Formats: sequence, C-alpha cells, structure tokens
Amino acid sequence: MTIETTSSRAPYLGYGLGLRVEHYEALLEQPGNVQWLEIVSENYLVPGGRPLVWLERFRERFPLVMHGVSMSIGGTDPLDDDYLARLAALARHIEPAWVSDHLCWTGVQGINLHDLMPLPYTEEALAHVVERVTRVQDVLGRRILLENVSSYISFADSQLTEWQFLAAVAERADCLILLDINNIYVSACNHGFSPLDYLDGIPAQRVQQFHLAGHEHGGPLIIDTHDAPVANAVWDLYIEAVKRYGHVSTMIERDDHIPPLAELMTELDHARTLAAPWLQRAA
Amino acid sequence: MNTLQTLQQRLLQAVLADNTPRLRELRGDAHADAVTRLAVYRHGYRIRLRDALSTEFPGLRLMVGQRFDAMLDSYVQAHPSGHYNIRWHGAGLAAFLEFSRPWRDKPALADMARLDWAISTVFDAADEPTINAADLADIPAEAWAELCLRPQGHLQILPVTCNVDSFRRAADRQEPRPRMRSYRQPRHLLVWRQALTVHYRPLAEDERQLLNAAMREEPFTALCERLAEYHPPSKALPRMTALLRQWLEAGLIGAYRLKS
Ligand SMILES: [Fe+2]
Repeated sequence: MTIETTSSRAPYLGYGLGLRVEHYEALLEQPGNVQWLEIVSENYLVPGGRPLVWLERFRERFPLVMHGVSMSIGGTDPLDDDYLARLAALARHIEPAWVSDHLCWTGVQGINLHDLMPLPYTEEALAHVVERVTRVQDVLGRRILLENVSSYISFADSQLTEWQFLAAVAERADCLILLDINNIYVSACNHGFSPLDYLDGIPAQRVQQFHLAGHEHGGPLIIDTHDAPVANAVWDLYIEAVKRYGHVSTMIERDDHIPPLAELMTELDHARTLAAPWLQRAA
Repeated sequence: MNTLQTLQQRLLQAVLADNTPRLRELRGDAHADAVTRLAVYRHGYRIRLRDALSTEFPGLRLMVGQRFDAMLDSYVQAHPSGHYNIRWHGAGLAAFLEFSRPWRDKPALADMARLDWAISTVFDAADEPTINAADLADIPAEAWAELCLRPQGHLQILPVTCNVDSFRRAADRQEPRPRMRSYRQPRHLLVWRQALTVHYRPLAEDERQLLNAAMREEPFTALCERLAEYHPPSKALPRMTALLRQWLEAGLIGAYRLKS
C-alpha cells in the first residue's frame, strides 16, 4: 500500500471504512480494497478484554484513525478531563494517523443526550469552541479534525452560516476538518442552503478526511441514519468535493443494517471510480 | 450564565420533557416548523438509549418480553444518562428495577438485570494474569497452610432468586423463553472471564463461602476449616482438592502469595 504525503497535510490514506464488529473477521481475512480504518474511540476506551485484542490485530494490518463522539467540544460543561486523558492514552498507544470528533455539543449539566447537537452560529459560540479546541489540542499534543454534523434545527440567533462557522473555528483554533459529505447534503436539504456554497466556503487545505454515508427521508426532513447505501445526490456532491479538495482520505460509515463487507467494498470502489478522473487531473 | 449555556440547558430540557415545548430560540420555516424539527432529537434520544440498553440486557429482554421497551423508557425517563459512553447507562438499571414501582414487585427483574450487567462489565474488564496447577506444584507441603489464593479482581458473585442464568443462556442462543423457576432460598451465580470468554455458573454454598474467604485473603488452612463446617472430615479434603482444581482450570485464580 502506498501512502502519499504532501507537506501541508497528514498522509493521504486512500479509501477506508468505519470499523464495525460485524466485519472484524472478514476484514482480517480479506481486507480487499480497504486501505485504512476509522475506529470509534469510545468503543476502545475500556480496561481490557476482547475489544483491545481485536484493536491490536487491526493496528498491525491497517492505518487507523480515531473518531470520537463524546468530546462535546461545543458544550458548556467543563471539558471532561478524564475522557480526554483516556483518549490521549489510547492515541499514544495506537498512534492513529489522526484524531477527530464533531463540531457539536452532546449534553449539559452532567446529562448526556448521546447525540450530536448543533450549535448556534454566533460569535459567542465561536469563541467558546475555539478556546476549547485549543485546550484539547494541547492535551492530545496534536491537531484534531472536527466533523460537520447533520442537523434538523436551526437557531434564531445564528449570525453565520454553518460553513462560515466551521471555517472560522478551523482557522482560529488551527484545527483540521473532517467533511461529512452526506451531512452537508442532509443539512442543506433540511435548512435550504446550497451544498455547493458550503463546499466553496471551506478552506481546502484544512480538509483531511471525508465521510460518506446513507440517509433516510423522514417526513419533511432528511435524517442521517447511516443505515443505507450512499445516495446518488451524495455521490454527486462527493465529486464536487473531490474537484475542490483533491486527494482527501475517504471512508464509508455504516452503523445500522450493516451489510456484508463485500457490499461496502463495492461502494468504496464506486467512490474510487468517481474520484479517479479528478484526482488524475489534480496530480 | 452565558446565553450559550442557557440555550443548551433549555434545549436539553426540551429533548427530555414529556411533551414537546415550543422554544423561541428555534427557527421553523415553510419546510418544517420548529416543533417537527425538535421532535427528531426527542425521538432520537429515546431510541438511542433503548437500542443501547437493549444490547446490554438480552436476558432481561427475553424475560420481560413485550413490556421491555416500556420498562427501558421508564428507566431513562427517571434517570437521564450521565456517562459519555451510552452503554454505561446500564449501570443503574438493576437498582432502578429493585426499588421502583411496579418493577420492584418482581425481584427476578433486578436479578436478571444484575446478571446481564455483570456479563457486560466482565467482558471488557482489565486483563489479569492467571495461575495454573503447575504454578502451585513447587510450593513445599509445609507452606500450604499459609498459602493465599487471590481470585481474579473482576470476578462477581450475584445473589439470585430465580433461574436468571437460563434466561441469559436462552437469549444468547436465540432459544425460546425458558420457564421461570423461583428459588425458596436465594442462590448465587459466579460470573468471570477466562482469557476472552465470559462464563457464569451456579455457585454452591460451600464454594461461595470459600471464594469469599479467598477474596479476603484468608490462608489455605482457614479455607479448609470453613469447608469442614459443610462436610464430614472424610469428604472435606477431597472437596477442597476438587474445588481447587476446578478454580485453576477455569482461570479463577489470578495469583497466590505465601503469607509469612
Ligand atoms: Fe460522519
């Protein structure tokens, strides 16, 4: 496997998958076209047993990146020092290519909603997030990637667009971006903005990873469910993203109705095929 | 309090509340009004906790049947989650079932929840070394009196009032719901992990006393004396030998120490 590097970005890992228990054995036996894996960090923040044994096996075979859901970088409760310490320890141990979480908050007053709650796009929230990202990056000793989330609500107080907010966080905190193409599409439909305006508003040199996933139509809104193949409209948007950002490590997330590994590999090949002409042009 | 914090508190309360409140902070539009939009989060919160807990409590799911979701909802309603790992919200379920109406009237439910949760926590408990028979072979005969056997730190002994282990086994094997058998006297189950596999089995009363004594680091002579309370002299030593072999083969003993 070749890993290309450019001076400004972390290694380009190619095409990968979110690691799920259902594919553990298949992935080790037949990794096929899967070049790297993203783990959900929380699943491995455990004292011992089977999860960590599997993780060792994957670490030997694949480049890994860590993806968390609990940082609550936009939350107003104090950052969870215990969580961050565990996260830092896991990162020291498995040496992932990078560590990411979401641009969101997950709870307040000690209660966890276990959801990726959107922020109001205000100067106050921006300053708050930037300060916390800086602290997290100090603890982890590395820059983190923040992912755009799907959202269903918007706030009367928002002064910025979502992409202005994300870009400003990344620039001011000097962090990187995990762009979820499906989430852009879902939020664009739900809030009526142009997904291309979104792509145009994101600083290309900070985009280090793409997520692709499926969604579901639930009444008037589109819901980010990760339980279906990538939709055609999202593939179209993926091409637009590749045109703008070039070589960005890309992966597919599937959390429900998890199909056989071969099916996801076919989807990965589709992503490769779609991106290839634009990547050749960029090279 | 700053506005971001106030907003988050109000939104969180709106997600947790029984009825969908109207929040002036949220914007609706022609596409969907604010209440419809908020409903996605309200629904998602309940479903996510239900799904996560359902995975952790397969025995309880089989035991309770159709009312399982309602039971989980009542727990989540009474106790919002506080841990960053959604799975860990399962830690409080057994206590909730033990003390809250109407569930507390059926002690089998709390027993079942306790077994499911023990299996779940032992599954990824810290790795510990184990000793085997060969490790003990070199101990001189005269030193055995002072030998302390240390059971694995993750090992759990659970009191149960009915055959919750049959329910868990049936759930794991996707077999039909077993018949419930209530015990006249409470019995005990042992839950532990050998290498990467979680095991559970009924624990006889003499063995339970012995394991508890070993956990308190009582020396081998004290264990033998305890066993003598349960068996006539001719049976006590063979029983001790059998238990010790069984413990070592099952990986229950993590270490030993000679007291002097
Ligand atoms: Fe994502």
